[in-house]
Amino acid sequence: MNHESAMSETSPNSLSHSSSATENSAASEENLRSDYIKICNFNFFYGSKQALFDISMDIPEREVTAFIGPSGCGKSTLLRNLNRMNDLIDGVRHEGDVIVNGQSIYDPHIEVISLRKRIGMVFQKSNPFPKSIYENIVYPLRVAGQNKKSVLDETVERSLKGAALWEEAKDRLHDSALGLSGGQMQRLCIARAIANRPEILLMDEPCSALDPIATAKVEELIHSLKKDFTIVIVTHNMQQATRCSQRTAFFYLGKLIEFDITTKVFGNPSQKQTEDYITGRFG
Amino acid sequence: MNTPHILTTFEESLQILRDDALMMGSLTDRNLANARKGLFDRDEDWCNTVIVDDEEIDDLEVLIDQNGIALMLRFSPMASDLRTVVSTMKLSMNLERIADQAVNIARRGRRLLAKPELPETNELAPTFAMAETMLKDAIRAYADADIELARSLKDRDRKLDALNRDYAERITFRMSQDIENIPIYIDLIFISRFLERIGDQAKNIGEDTIFAVSAEETRHSNRGPTPMEP
Repeated sequence: MNHESAMSETSPNSLSHSSSATENSAASEENLRSDYIKICNFNFFYGSKQALFDISMDIPEREVTAFIGPSGCGKSTLLRNLNRMNDLIDGVRHEGDVIVNGQSIYDPHIEVISLRKRIGMVFQKSNPFPKSIYENIVYPLRVAGQNKKSVLDETVERSLKGAALWEEAKDRLHDSALGLSGGQMQRLCIARAIANRPEILLMDEPCSALDPIATAKVEELIHSLKKDFTIVIVTHNMQQATRCSQRTAFFYLGKLIEFDITTKVFGNPSQKQTEDYITGRFG
Repeated sequence: MNTPHILTTFEESLQILRDDALMMGSLTDRNLANARKGLFDRDEDWCNTVIVDDEEIDDLEVLIDQNGIALMLRFSPMASDLRTVVSTMKLSMNLERIADQAVNIARRGRRLLAKPELPETNELAPTFAMAETMLKDAIRAYADADIELARSLKDRDRKLDALNRDYAERITFRMSQDIENIPIYIDLIFISRFLERIGDQAKNIGEDTIFAVSAEETRHSNRGPTPMEP
Protein backbone atom coordinates (compact mmCIF):
# COMPACT_ATOMS: atom_id res chain seq x y z
CA MET A 1 0.00 0.00 0.00
CA ASN A 2 1.39 3.37 -0.88
CA HIS A 3 1.77 6.27 1.46
CA GLU A 4 -1.22 8.23 0.16
CA SER A 5 -3.69 5.39 0.48
CA ALA A 6 -2.47 4.29 3.90
CA MET A 7 -2.80 7.80 5.31
CA SER A 8 -6.50 8.02 4.66
CA GLU A 9 -8.29 11.31 5.06
CA THR A 10 -10.18 11.98 8.24
CA SER A 11 -13.75 10.87 7.77
CA PRO A 12 -16.61 13.14 8.72
CA ASN A 13 -18.38 10.05 10.03
CA SER A 14 -17.00 10.17 13.49
CA LEU A 15 -17.48 7.54 16.16
CA SER A 16 -15.89 9.66 18.79
CA HIS A 17 -16.10 13.37 18.83
CA SER A 18 -14.05 16.09 20.39
CA SER A 19 -12.54 14.18 23.33
CA SER A 20 -9.12 15.62 22.64
CA ALA A 21 -10.03 18.88 21.01
CA THR A 22 -8.31 20.77 23.82
CA GLU A 23 -5.11 18.76 23.41
CA ASN A 24 -5.20 19.38 19.69
CA SER A 25 -5.54 23.09 19.99
CA ALA A 26 -2.71 23.08 22.54
CA ALA A 27 -0.60 21.06 20.11
CA SER A 28 -1.19 23.44 17.25
CA GLU A 29 -0.39 26.41 19.48
CA GLU A 30 2.94 24.78 20.31
CA ASN A 31 3.64 24.23 16.61
CA LEU A 32 4.34 20.54 16.95
CA ARG A 33 5.50 18.65 13.88
CA SER A 34 3.03 16.33 12.20
CA ASP A 35 5.98 14.43 10.71
CA TYR A 36 8.30 14.25 13.69
CA ILE A 37 9.25 10.76 12.56
CA LYS A 38 9.01 10.50 8.79
CA ILE A 39 9.33 7.00 7.39
CA CYS A 40 9.93 7.11 3.65
CA ASN A 41 9.50 4.12 1.29
CA PHE A 42 11.19 1.92 3.84
CA ASN A 43 12.10 -1.68 2.96
CA PHE A 44 13.92 -3.97 5.35
CA PHE A 45 15.59 -7.34 4.81
CA TYR A 46 16.84 -10.06 7.13
CA GLY A 47 19.36 -11.59 4.73
CA SER A 48 17.38 -12.47 1.62
CA LYS A 49 14.02 -12.35 3.41
CA GLN A 50 12.18 -9.08 3.08
CA ALA A 51 10.40 -8.15 6.32
CA LEU A 52 9.07 -4.68 5.51
CA PHE A 53 7.67 -3.48 2.20
CA ASP A 54 7.63 0.15 1.13
CA ILE A 55 6.49 1.63 4.45
CA SER A 56 5.74 5.34 4.38
CA MET A 57 4.17 7.18 7.27
CA ASP A 58 4.45 10.38 9.29
CA ILE A 59 4.38 10.02 13.08
CA PRO A 60 3.35 13.26 14.82
CA GLU A 61 5.26 14.87 17.64
CA ARG A 62 4.14 14.31 21.24
CA GLU A 63 1.42 11.87 20.39
CA VAL A 64 1.15 8.17 21.07
CA THR A 65 1.18 6.09 17.91
CA ALA A 66 0.30 2.39 18.21
CA PHE A 67 1.55 -0.33 15.87
CA ILE A 68 -0.77 -3.33 15.72
CA GLY A 69 -0.94 -6.47 13.63
CA PRO A 70 -0.55 -10.23 13.87
CA SER A 71 2.73 -11.82 14.94
CA GLY A 72 5.34 -11.59 12.22
CA CYS A 73 3.71 -8.62 10.49
CA GLY A 74 6.80 -6.45 10.93
CA LYS A 75 5.61 -3.99 13.57
CA SER A 76 8.46 -4.73 16.03
CA THR A 77 10.95 -4.80 13.16
CA LEU A 78 9.87 -1.32 12.13
CA LEU A 79 9.94 -0.11 15.75
CA ARG A 80 13.49 -1.42 16.20
CA ASN A 81 14.52 0.36 13.03
CA LEU A 82 13.48 3.70 14.45
CA ASN A 83 16.56 3.79 16.70
CA ARG A 84 18.62 1.43 14.53
CA MET A 85 18.49 -1.41 17.03
CA ASN A 86 18.32 -3.77 14.06
CA ASP A 87 21.85 -2.70 13.07
CA LEU A 88 23.01 -5.13 15.78
CA ILE A 89 21.72 -8.10 13.75
CA ASP A 90 24.02 -9.65 11.15
CA GLY A 91 22.96 -9.66 7.53
CA VAL A 92 20.26 -7.01 7.69
CA ARG A 93 19.87 -4.21 5.19
CA HIS A 94 17.37 -1.49 4.44
CA GLU A 95 16.19 0.74 1.63
CA GLY A 96 14.44 4.08 2.04
CA ASP A 97 14.88 6.43 4.96
CA VAL A 98 13.72 7.35 8.45
CA ILE A 99 13.87 11.06 9.22
CA VAL A 100 13.57 12.20 12.83
CA ASN A 101 12.87 15.87 13.40
CA GLY A 102 14.18 16.68 9.94
CA GLN A 103 17.35 14.59 10.07
CA SER A 104 17.92 11.13 8.60
CA ILE A 105 18.84 8.55 11.20
CA TYR A 106 21.05 6.97 8.52
CA ASP A 107 23.00 10.18 7.98
CA PRO A 108 26.67 9.12 8.03
CA HIS A 109 27.37 11.94 10.49
CA ILE A 110 24.95 10.48 13.03
CA GLU A 111 26.48 8.47 15.84
CA VAL A 112 24.29 5.48 16.58
CA ILE A 113 24.95 5.70 20.31
CA SER A 114 23.82 9.32 20.46
CA LEU A 115 20.83 8.44 18.29
CA ARG A 116 19.76 5.84 20.84
CA LYS A 117 20.09 8.46 23.58
CA ARG A 118 17.60 10.57 21.64
CA ILE A 119 15.32 7.61 21.02
CA GLY A 120 14.84 5.49 24.14
CA MET A 121 13.39 2.03 24.17
CA VAL A 122 11.34 -0.04 26.60
CA PHE A 123 11.07 -3.76 25.98
CA GLN A 124 8.40 -6.39 26.47
CA LYS A 125 10.23 -7.97 29.39
CA SER A 126 11.53 -5.53 31.95
CA ASN A 127 15.30 -5.77 32.08
CA PRO A 128 16.66 -3.92 35.10
CA PHE A 129 20.37 -4.31 35.77
CA PRO A 130 21.25 -6.35 38.89
CA LYS A 131 22.04 -3.12 40.70
CA SER A 132 20.18 -0.75 42.97
CA ILE A 133 17.19 1.28 41.78
CA TYR A 134 19.39 4.39 41.94
CA GLU A 135 22.21 2.84 39.92
CA ASN A 136 19.83 1.56 37.28
CA ILE A 137 18.68 5.07 36.54
CA VAL A 138 22.04 6.81 36.66
CA TYR A 139 23.76 4.07 34.63
CA PRO A 140 23.45 5.85 31.28
CA LEU A 141 24.77 9.06 32.86
CA ARG A 142 27.71 7.29 34.44
CA VAL A 143 28.52 5.66 31.09
CA ALA A 144 28.53 9.16 29.62
CA GLY A 145 31.02 10.22 32.30
CA GLN A 146 28.63 12.09 34.58
CA ASN A 147 29.41 11.37 38.25
CA LYS A 148 28.35 14.61 39.94
CA LYS A 149 26.12 13.56 42.83
CA SER A 150 23.74 16.50 42.63
CA VAL A 151 23.13 15.83 38.91
CA LEU A 152 22.65 12.12 39.52
CA ASP A 153 20.27 12.74 42.45
CA GLU A 154 18.25 15.20 40.43
CA THR A 155 18.05 12.75 37.52
CA VAL A 156 16.90 9.90 39.75
CA GLU A 157 14.16 11.99 41.33
CA ARG A 158 13.02 13.48 38.02
CA SER A 159 13.02 10.14 36.22
CA LEU A 160 11.25 8.24 38.97
CA LYS A 161 8.64 10.99 39.26
CA GLY A 162 8.28 10.96 35.47
CA ALA A 163 7.76 7.21 35.60
CA ALA A 164 5.28 7.48 38.50
CA LEU A 165 7.57 5.40 40.72
CA TRP A 166 9.01 8.03 43.05
CA GLU A 167 6.52 7.60 45.90
CA GLU A 168 6.97 3.83 45.88
CA ALA A 169 10.76 3.87 45.56
CA LYS A 170 12.06 7.02 47.26
CA ASP A 171 12.75 5.25 50.55
CA ARG A 172 14.50 2.27 48.97
CA LEU A 173 16.61 3.85 46.25
CA HIS A 174 19.64 1.80 47.20
CA ASP A 175 17.80 -1.52 47.39
CA SER A 176 18.20 -3.98 44.55
CA ALA A 177 15.99 -3.27 41.57
CA LEU A 178 15.36 -6.99 41.36
CA GLY A 179 13.23 -6.73 44.51
CA LEU A 180 10.62 -4.63 42.74
CA SER A 181 7.36 -6.09 41.44
CA GLY A 182 6.96 -6.74 37.68
CA GLY A 183 5.03 -3.52 37.15
CA GLN A 184 7.50 -1.51 39.21
CA MET A 185 10.42 -3.01 37.26
CA GLN A 186 8.81 -1.99 33.98
CA ARG A 187 8.26 1.55 35.27
CA LEU A 188 11.90 1.55 36.45
CA CYS A 189 12.94 0.68 32.90
CA ILE A 190 10.80 3.56 31.65
CA ALA A 191 12.46 5.81 34.25
CA ARG A 192 15.86 4.65 32.98
CA ALA A 193 14.76 5.27 29.40
CA ILE A 194 13.74 8.85 30.15
CA ALA A 195 16.76 9.64 32.38
CA ASN A 196 18.67 10.94 29.37
CA ARG A 197 15.74 13.13 28.31
CA PRO A 198 15.16 11.41 24.96
CA GLU A 199 12.88 12.93 22.32
CA ILE A 200 11.17 9.68 21.47
CA LEU A 201 10.18 6.62 23.48
CA LEU A 202 9.75 3.31 21.67
CA MET A 203 7.79 0.68 23.58
CA ASP A 204 7.68 -2.91 22.44
CA GLU A 205 4.69 -4.58 24.14
CA PRO A 206 5.56 -2.91 27.46
CA CYS A 207 2.59 -4.37 29.37
CA SER A 208 2.33 -7.87 27.96
CA ALA A 209 3.84 -9.42 31.10
CA LEU A 210 1.99 -7.23 33.60
CA ASP A 211 -1.21 -7.71 35.60
CA PRO A 212 -4.15 -5.35 34.95
CA ILE A 213 -3.29 -2.96 37.80
CA ALA A 214 0.36 -2.66 36.73
CA THR A 215 -0.83 -2.30 33.13
CA ALA A 216 -3.16 0.54 34.14
CA LYS A 217 -0.28 2.31 35.90
CA VAL A 218 1.96 2.00 32.83
CA GLU A 219 -0.88 3.19 30.57
CA GLU A 220 -1.48 6.17 32.85
CA LEU A 221 2.25 6.83 32.67
CA ILE A 222 2.18 6.70 28.86
CA HIS A 223 -0.65 9.23 28.93
CA SER A 224 1.35 11.63 31.09
CA LEU A 225 4.64 11.05 29.20
CA LYS A 226 3.16 12.14 25.89
CA LYS A 227 3.26 15.73 27.09
CA ASP A 228 7.04 15.56 26.76
CA PHE A 229 7.80 12.67 24.42
CA THR A 230 6.75 11.27 21.09
CA ILE A 231 5.77 7.68 21.84
CA VAL A 232 5.50 4.70 19.53
CA ILE A 233 4.08 1.57 21.11
CA VAL A 234 3.80 -1.94 19.70
CA THR A 235 0.94 -3.83 21.27
CA HIS A 236 -1.11 -6.95 20.71
CA ASN A 237 -3.74 -5.60 23.07
CA MET A 238 -6.18 -3.68 20.93
CA GLN A 239 -8.02 -2.23 23.91
CA GLN A 240 -4.67 -0.86 25.05
CA ALA A 241 -4.06 0.70 21.64
CA THR A 242 -7.56 2.21 21.80
CA ARG A 243 -7.01 3.59 25.30
CA CYS A 244 -3.45 4.87 24.90
CA SER A 245 -2.88 6.04 21.36
CA GLN A 246 -4.06 8.91 19.21
CA ARG A 247 -3.11 7.14 15.96
CA THR A 248 -2.88 3.52 15.03
CA ALA A 249 -1.04 1.75 12.24
CA PHE A 250 -2.10 -1.74 11.19
CA PHE A 251 0.55 -3.94 9.56
CA TYR A 252 0.12 -7.24 7.78
CA LEU A 253 2.79 -9.38 6.12
CA GLY A 254 5.31 -6.55 6.34
CA LYS A 255 3.03 -3.96 4.75
CA LEU A 256 1.35 -0.93 6.24
CA ILE A 257 -2.32 -1.59 5.55
CA GLU A 258 -3.88 1.37 7.32
CA PHE A 259 -2.69 4.33 9.39
CA ASP A 260 -5.24 6.70 10.81
CA ILE A 261 -6.75 8.23 13.91
CA THR A 262 -7.23 5.47 16.50
CA THR A 263 -10.99 5.96 16.89
CA LYS A 264 -11.31 5.69 13.11
CA VAL A 265 -9.19 2.54 12.85
CA PHE A 266 -11.10 0.76 15.64
CA GLY A 267 -14.50 2.28 14.90
CA ASN A 268 -14.71 2.28 11.14
CA PRO A 269 -11.53 1.11 9.42
CA SER A 270 -11.10 1.86 5.73
CA GLN A 271 -9.51 -1.46 4.80
CA LYS A 272 -11.22 -4.84 4.99
CA GLN A 273 -8.02 -6.49 6.25
CA THR A 274 -8.00 -4.09 9.21
CA GLU A 275 -11.69 -4.74 9.91
CA ASP A 276 -11.15 -8.51 9.76
CA TYR A 277 -8.17 -8.31 12.11
CA ILE A 278 -9.66 -6.07 14.77
CA THR A 279 -13.00 -7.90 14.77
CA GLY A 280 -11.30 -11.28 15.14
CA ARG A 281 -12.13 -12.62 11.70
CA PHE A 282 -8.55 -13.08 10.64
CA GLY A 283 -6.81 -16.26 9.65
CA MET B 1 -20.92 -12.08 3.23
CA ASN B 2 -18.58 -11.36 6.12
CA THR B 3 -15.84 -13.77 7.08
CA PRO B 4 -17.01 -15.52 10.28
CA HIS B 5 -15.30 -14.74 13.56
CA ILE B 6 -12.54 -17.06 14.73
CA LEU B 7 -14.31 -17.27 18.11
CA THR B 8 -17.47 -19.26 17.51
CA THR B 9 -18.87 -18.18 20.90
CA PHE B 10 -18.63 -14.56 19.73
CA GLU B 11 -20.33 -15.44 16.45
CA GLU B 12 -23.10 -17.27 18.33
CA SER B 13 -23.62 -14.44 20.84
CA LEU B 14 -23.97 -11.89 18.02
CA GLN B 15 -26.42 -14.18 16.22
CA ILE B 16 -28.51 -14.66 19.38
CA LEU B 17 -28.62 -10.89 19.89
CA ARG B 18 -29.79 -10.33 16.32
CA ASP B 19 -32.32 -13.20 16.49
CA ASP B 20 -33.84 -11.80 19.69
CA ALA B 21 -34.06 -8.36 18.09
CA LEU B 22 -35.82 -9.80 15.03
CA MET B 23 -38.19 -11.75 17.26
CA MET B 24 -38.94 -8.53 19.13
CA GLY B 25 -39.54 -6.77 15.81
CA SER B 26 -41.93 -9.46 14.72
CA LEU B 27 -43.89 -9.33 18.00
CA THR B 28 -44.06 -5.52 17.85
CA ASP B 29 -45.31 -5.68 14.27
CA ARG B 30 -47.97 -8.19 15.34
CA ASN B 31 -49.03 -6.03 18.28
CA LEU B 32 -49.46 -2.99 16.09
CA ALA B 33 -51.57 -5.03 13.64
CA ASN B 34 -53.70 -6.23 16.57
CA ALA B 35 -54.14 -2.64 17.76
CA ARG B 36 -55.37 -1.77 14.25
CA LYS B 37 -57.90 -4.60 14.34
CA GLY B 38 -59.06 -3.54 17.80
CA LEU B 39 -59.57 0.05 16.66
CA PHE B 40 -61.18 -0.40 13.26
CA ASP B 41 -63.13 -3.60 14.02
CA ARG B 42 -64.18 -2.19 17.41
CA ASP B 43 -63.04 -5.43 18.99
CA GLU B 44 -62.24 -5.38 22.69
CA ASP B 45 -60.46 -8.76 22.60
CA TRP B 46 -57.82 -7.50 20.16
CA CYS B 47 -57.31 -4.40 22.33
CA ASN B 48 -56.82 -6.57 25.41
CA THR B 49 -54.45 -8.89 23.55
CA VAL B 50 -52.21 -5.95 22.65
CA ILE B 51 -52.04 -4.83 26.28
CA VAL B 52 -51.24 -8.33 27.56
CA ASP B 53 -48.70 -9.17 24.83
CA ASP B 54 -46.70 -6.04 25.54
CA GLU B 55 -45.13 -7.77 28.52
CA GLU B 56 -43.29 -10.23 26.29
CA ILE B 57 -41.83 -7.33 24.30
CA ASP B 58 -40.73 -5.58 27.50
CA ASP B 59 -39.00 -8.80 28.61
CA LEU B 60 -37.18 -9.05 25.28
CA GLU B 61 -35.96 -5.47 25.60
CA VAL B 62 -34.38 -6.30 28.98
CA LEU B 63 -32.92 -9.56 27.61
CA ILE B 64 -31.35 -7.80 24.61
CA ASP B 65 -29.83 -5.15 26.87
CA GLN B 66 -28.41 -7.80 29.19
CA ASN B 67 -27.04 -9.88 26.33
CA GLY B 68 -25.62 -6.81 24.60
CA ILE B 69 -23.79 -5.73 27.75
CA ALA B 70 -22.55 -9.27 28.38
CA LEU B 71 -21.31 -9.47 24.79
CA MET B 72 -19.41 -6.20 25.15
CA LEU B 73 -17.90 -7.38 28.42
CA ARG B 74 -16.85 -10.77 27.12
CA PHE B 75 -15.72 -9.99 23.60
CA SER B 76 -14.93 -6.24 23.47
CA PRO B 77 -16.35 -5.93 19.95
CA MET B 78 -14.71 -3.48 17.54
CA ALA B 79 -15.72 -1.63 14.37
CA SER B 80 -18.79 -3.11 12.63
CA ASP B 81 -19.34 -5.59 15.48
CA LEU B 82 -19.47 -2.78 18.05
CA ARG B 83 -21.83 -0.80 15.83
CA THR B 84 -24.04 -3.86 15.41
CA VAL B 85 -24.30 -4.42 19.17
CA VAL B 86 -25.01 -0.76 19.92
CA SER B 87 -27.54 -0.40 17.10
CA THR B 88 -29.30 -3.62 18.13
CA MET B 89 -29.67 -2.34 21.69
CA LYS B 90 -31.04 0.93 20.33
CA LEU B 91 -33.35 -0.97 17.97
CA SER B 92 -34.79 -2.87 20.91
CA MET B 93 -35.37 0.40 22.78
CA ASN B 94 -37.21 1.87 19.78
CA LEU B 95 -39.27 -1.31 19.30
CA GLU B 96 -40.27 -1.22 22.95
CA ARG B 97 -41.47 2.35 22.52
CA ILE B 98 -43.40 1.40 19.38
CA ALA B 99 -45.01 -1.46 21.29
CA ASP B 100 -45.97 1.07 23.99
CA GLN B 101 -47.61 3.21 21.30
CA ALA B 102 -49.58 0.12 20.20
CA VAL B 103 -50.73 -0.30 23.82
CA ASN B 104 -51.72 3.38 23.95
CA ILE B 105 -53.74 2.93 20.76
CA ALA B 106 -55.38 -0.22 22.16
CA ARG B 107 -56.32 1.59 25.39
CA ARG B 108 -57.84 4.52 23.49
CA GLY B 109 -59.53 2.06 21.11
CA ARG B 110 -61.06 0.20 24.02
CA ARG B 111 -62.34 3.46 25.47
CA LEU B 112 -63.94 4.35 22.13
CA LEU B 113 -66.00 1.13 22.24
CA ALA B 114 -68.21 2.64 24.93
CA LYS B 115 -68.94 5.64 22.70
CA PRO B 116 -70.75 6.08 19.39
CA GLU B 117 -68.80 5.14 16.25
CA LEU B 118 -67.79 8.17 14.20
CA PRO B 119 -66.70 8.11 10.53
CA GLU B 120 -63.58 10.05 11.51
CA THR B 121 -62.16 6.84 13.02
CA ASN B 122 -61.81 5.29 9.58
CA GLU B 123 -60.08 8.44 8.30
CA LEU B 124 -57.12 7.25 10.39
CA ALA B 125 -56.64 4.23 8.11
CA PRO B 126 -54.05 5.81 5.75
CA THR B 127 -51.98 7.07 8.71
CA PHE B 128 -52.18 3.65 10.32
CA ALA B 129 -51.17 1.89 7.11
CA MET B 130 -48.20 4.17 6.63
CA ALA B 131 -46.98 3.70 10.23
CA GLU B 132 -47.30 -0.07 9.93
CA THR B 133 -45.41 -0.19 6.63
CA MET B 134 -42.68 2.02 8.05
CA LEU B 135 -42.26 -0.33 11.00
CA LYS B 136 -42.08 -3.40 8.75
CA ASP B 137 -39.53 -1.71 6.49
CA ALA B 138 -37.43 -0.53 9.43
CA ILE B 139 -37.20 -4.11 10.70
CA ARG B 140 -36.47 -5.43 7.21
CA ALA B 141 -33.77 -2.78 6.66
CA TYR B 142 -32.10 -3.88 9.91
CA ALA B 143 -32.43 -7.58 9.12
CA ASP B 144 -31.07 -7.24 5.57
CA ALA B 145 -28.60 -4.40 6.30
CA ASP B 146 -30.47 -2.54 3.54
CA ILE B 147 -29.21 1.04 3.72
CA GLU B 148 -31.39 2.34 0.89
CA LEU B 149 -34.57 1.06 2.50
CA ALA B 150 -33.39 2.57 5.80
CA ARG B 151 -32.76 5.91 4.09
CA SER B 152 -36.28 5.96 2.63
CA LEU B 153 -37.76 6.11 6.13
CA LYS B 154 -36.74 9.71 6.68
CA ASP B 155 -38.87 11.06 3.82
CA ARG B 156 -41.75 8.80 4.70
CA ASP B 157 -41.62 10.06 8.28
CA ARG B 158 -42.13 13.60 7.00
CA LYS B 159 -45.17 12.43 5.03
CA LEU B 160 -46.55 10.73 8.13
CA ASP B 161 -46.00 13.96 10.10
CA ALA B 162 -48.01 15.81 7.45
CA LEU B 163 -50.83 13.25 7.58
CA ASN B 164 -51.00 13.63 11.36
CA ARG B 165 -50.99 17.42 11.10
CA ASP B 166 -53.78 17.45 8.50
CA TYR B 167 -55.85 15.00 10.49
CA ALA B 168 -55.47 16.98 13.71
CA GLU B 169 -56.51 20.20 11.94
CA ARG B 170 -59.52 18.50 10.37
CA ILE B 171 -60.66 16.94 13.64
CA THR B 172 -60.12 20.15 15.59
CA PHE B 173 -62.39 21.93 13.14
CA ARG B 174 -65.06 19.24 13.54
CA MET B 175 -64.81 19.47 17.31
CA SER B 176 -65.96 23.07 17.08
CA GLN B 177 -69.07 21.91 15.20
CA ASP B 178 -69.81 18.77 17.23
CA ILE B 179 -69.19 19.68 20.85
CA GLU B 180 -71.02 16.66 22.19
CA ASN B 181 -68.41 14.24 20.79
CA ILE B 182 -65.33 16.17 21.82
CA PRO B 183 -64.00 13.29 24.05
CA ILE B 184 -64.08 10.96 21.01
CA TYR B 185 -62.27 13.48 18.81
CA ILE B 186 -59.61 13.92 21.49
CA ASP B 187 -59.01 10.15 21.58
CA LEU B 188 -58.71 10.11 17.78
CA ILE B 189 -56.22 12.99 17.78
CA PHE B 190 -54.17 11.11 20.37
CA ILE B 191 -54.23 7.93 18.27
CA SER B 192 -53.02 9.89 15.24
CA ARG B 193 -50.26 11.34 17.40
CA PHE B 194 -49.23 7.83 18.56
CA LEU B 195 -48.97 6.72 14.93
CA GLU B 196 -46.86 9.76 14.12
CA ARG B 197 -44.51 8.79 16.98
CA ILE B 198 -44.23 5.27 15.54
CA GLY B 199 -42.99 6.88 12.33
CA ASP B 200 -40.34 8.78 14.31
CA GLN B 201 -39.19 5.59 15.97
CA ALA B 202 -39.11 3.64 12.70
CA LYS B 203 -36.97 6.44 11.26
CA ASN B 204 -34.65 6.14 14.29
CA ILE B 205 -34.27 2.43 13.58
CA GLY B 206 -33.38 3.30 9.99
CA GLU B 207 -30.72 5.78 11.13
CA ASP B 208 -29.22 3.24 13.52
CA THR B 209 -29.20 0.64 10.75
CA ILE B 210 -27.32 3.01 8.44
CA PHE B 211 -24.80 3.63 11.22
CA ALA B 212 -24.40 -0.09 11.94
CA VAL B 213 -23.78 -0.93 8.29
CA SER B 214 -21.72 2.01 7.09
CA ALA B 215 -20.77 4.08 10.19
CA GLU B 216 -22.50 6.99 8.51
CA GLU B 217 -24.15 9.42 10.90
CA THR B 218 -27.50 10.55 9.48
CA ARG B 219 -29.16 11.80 12.64
CA HIS B 220 -29.70 15.56 12.68
CA SER B 221 -28.53 15.58 9.08
CA ASN B 222 -29.17 19.30 8.68
CA ARG B 223 -26.09 19.76 10.84
CA GLY B 224 -22.72 19.73 9.07
CA PRO B 225 -20.30 16.82 9.42
CA THR B 226 -18.34 16.65 12.66
CA PRO B 227 -14.59 16.32 12.11
CA MET B 228 -12.99 13.31 13.75
CA GLU B 229 -10.51 13.98 16.51
CA PRO B 230 -7.59 11.75 17.57
